[in-house]
Amino acid sequence: MTVEEFTGSVGVSNEIDRFPIGMRVLAVDDDPTCLKLLDCLLRKCQYQVTTTNQARTALNMLRENQNRFDLVISDVHMPDMDGFKLLELVGLEMDLPVIMLSGNSDPKLVMKGITHGACDYLVKPVRLEELRNIWQHVIRRKVESKSQSKSNNNQEKPSHEGGQEAGSGDPNGKVNRKRKDEEFEDLEDNGNEDDDPSTQKKPRVVWSIDLHRKFVAAVNQHGIEKAVPKRILDLMNVEGLTRENVASHLQKYRLYLKRISQQANMVVAFGGSKDISSYMRMNSLDGLGDFHSLSGSGRLPNAQLSSYSSSGMLGRLNSATGMTLHSLTAPTLIQPTHTQNLTGSVSSLNKFQPVVLPTPPNHQPTNLFQGIPTSFDLGQLQQNNKPNTQLPDFNTIDESRFFNGSSAFPTLGSQSCLNLVSSSSTFLDVPQPMSDNFHDQLPPHSSLNYGHTSSNNMITNTMIGFGSNITSTPSVPLEGQSESQRHVQYGKQSYGQYSSNTFSALVTAASPPNGGGLGGPVSQSNDLICGVYNRSNGNGPLPLQMNKQTHKSNSKLKMGSGENYLPSGYDSLDDLMNGMMKREQDPMIAMDGEFGFDPYSFGSSI
Amino acid sequence: MERNQMHRQIANTRKLMFDQGYLDEQFIQLEELQDGSNPNFVEEVVTLYYRDSARFLSNLDQALEKRPLDFSKLDNLMHQFKGSSTSIGAKKVKTECTHFRNYCNARNAEGCKRTFQNVKKEYTTLRKKLEAYFQMSRQVGPVETAYASSVVVCTIRYDTIHSLHLNIIHSNLPLRRCAARSH
Repeated sequence: MTVEEFTGSVGVSNEIDRFPIGMRVLAVDDDPTCLKLLDCLLRKCQYQVTTTNQARTALNMLRENQNRFDLVISDVHMPDMDGFKLLELVGLEMDLPVIMLSGNSDPKLVMKGITHGACDYLVKPVRLEELRNIWQHVIRRKVESKSQSKSNNNQEKPSHEGGQEAGSGDPNGKVNRKRKDEEFEDLEDNGNEDDDPSTQKKPRVVWSIDLHRKFVAAVNQHGIEKAVPKRILDLMNVEGLTRENVASHLQKYRLYLKRISQQANMVVAFGGSKDISSYMRMNSLDGLGDFHSLSGSGRLPNAQLSSYSSSGMLGRLNSATGMTLHSLTAPTLIQPTHTQNLTGSVSSLNKFQPVVLPTPPNHQPTNLFQGIPTSFDLGQLQQNNKPNTQLPDFNTIDESRFFNGSSAFPTLGSQSCLNLVSSSSTFLDVPQPMSDNFHDQLPPHSSLNYGHTSSNNMITNTMIGFGSNITSTPSVPLEGQSESQRHVQYGKQSYGQYSSNTFSALVTAASPPNGGGLGGPVSQSNDLICGVYNRSNGNGPLPLQMNKQTHKSNSKLKMGSGENYLPSGYDSLDDLMNGMMKREQDPMIAMDGEFGFDPYSFGSSI
Repeated sequence: MERNQMHRQIANTRKLMFDQGYLDEQFIQLEELQDGSNPNFVEEVVTLYYRDSARFLSNLDQALEKRPLDFSKLDNLMHQFKGSSTSIGAKKVKTECTHFRNYCNARNAEGCKRTFQNVKKEYTTLRKKLEAYFQMSRQVGPVETAYASSVVVCTIRYDTIHSLHLNIIHSNLPLRRCAARSH
């Protein structure tokens, strides 16, 4: 992408030309030496630099005025807040490109950065030449948002492209590239059509929980495949929201779902060979007696379950959530290939449920689930190798918040579970504007990127994370997730594995909200999902019934409106679930075959 | 003439630091960032580095005193210290840091302690060299720019080798903030 190209596009030239010079960068690094060096280097590139050595300060600055900065560069290793967490939050709340900096060039960390939504990952010491190019990330975002608006014209195509891109290795990069290419053509072709609106610097849209919930509801209504920005926008019927906003949010959401599903898959894969039943036992989910049944169900791949059980996390999960995870694992049965993923995701979902349920006072948690199902790409979930160790900690958190959910996820496989948990937690956070609570509650799982300082943001982040992770989840009633939870951070995978896992789990669990509409393997996951929903809805058994055994377990989990699982806040979660499930009736039923491996085939693939 | 000699001497000193492996390309990057608007950038950064890193070193010292050793904490501390050192181009220090981290990963307490001594040794050696270098540069450099004696600020609590006093306290301290904060 060259500046010339931009210039060619209508109305973009003014903005673009300015960018490399005077671009406003916020640099965050706790090391004063590095910060000073960075400051000097950036000034050499003629950017406007603001520095801070505290992540919290940076966040405050960003929140105060969302339009104050164009780009954020942040160190990974910081004492007050993990760089990845900051990354997620910024992406979610502010939709700003974030570049990670680290002295460590370990590919795993780089991958983590990418999955959390970083635009780039630089290794210290940073060279001037590298910094000279960072403005491209800002431009890219703008182009993408423009292309998204354009994509509204060709709704299916771009969204599919975006979604598919998201599924690929580097979603951000690839999608951007494709979109950019497409966009350039469009821009040139369309002429000045969207000049005024697109060239003007639009105020950032803050995806509040409500907004996000509406978004998810709209998406689910269409089905993830058919959900194009324009239709979503119409359904949402929110004033002041543009197609571009929706389009970019949708993209993030997809990435999030994809990520979730990937994580779920990884978790599943990671699972290993523990005995599921033992796993189940480990999770003494209140009222989730059915896990055993789940495991018992032929559908559940014992291997899978066992793998989960092996994860320490499960053991820790005392809450039903843990159980749900089991059920999640069960879904793997649905599709042999996917089962693993499903299981993971399902479990994560299950776990998720408990989490989600309790907290959202305003039914926001439901949104959480919505995000999850969509991207259950179990195969991808397998990537989560983090053992459940992480999840177990969740159990400690009895708050309905995600912890509960997270505990459930442990079954998935630590990581995925954790992600879910984290996601769920985030979601939960949203309703309760105390993101910090989560942190406190959450045992210091390194894997969990809770870092959501603001409850809303957190939830959204997680939600978003989920969405992106679970690209392949079956039609998960995403709607449930509150918009706020969803915050724009789809891309931000800070929740990383956890969120994706949780989402996957949630998704799967949520999917059969229709009350057993799920058929086949998918149903299992759906059940889980439904289970999740059920809990939130307090319908308890409803979703559970959906898919035979899996559902059973799910239902158990959900039981009774999750009170069993989550001490408090379940109600909200229940509501969330209910909302989600209801919305997902159609997709759920469709979930027959693959469990949402295809992000778009949310309901259809199953 | 004397000035030329001084210049030559400074250049030699500098070259020696590179040749002996004390500094690497990153230091050159720092030098390149130094210009009219930022005339003492290198010295400022180095001073900042010594001031800040003393803290890490003392933390590492303390952590190494504990029994049993908390390797992950040590690793974390060293990671940060290494990052700083890399930023100013302190090559030998960086190498020793890497060794330290390897021993940490291998959970080799003896190895850690030994390498840490090396780290400290390299750190102080470099400091002396840099201090001398800056001192010389100041003497020949533009007198107008205040040369902070601040390099001394680095002494900090950690460094017990106070022989490094680079106390050439000139009146104008470009590194005002460093001076102010020196303790």
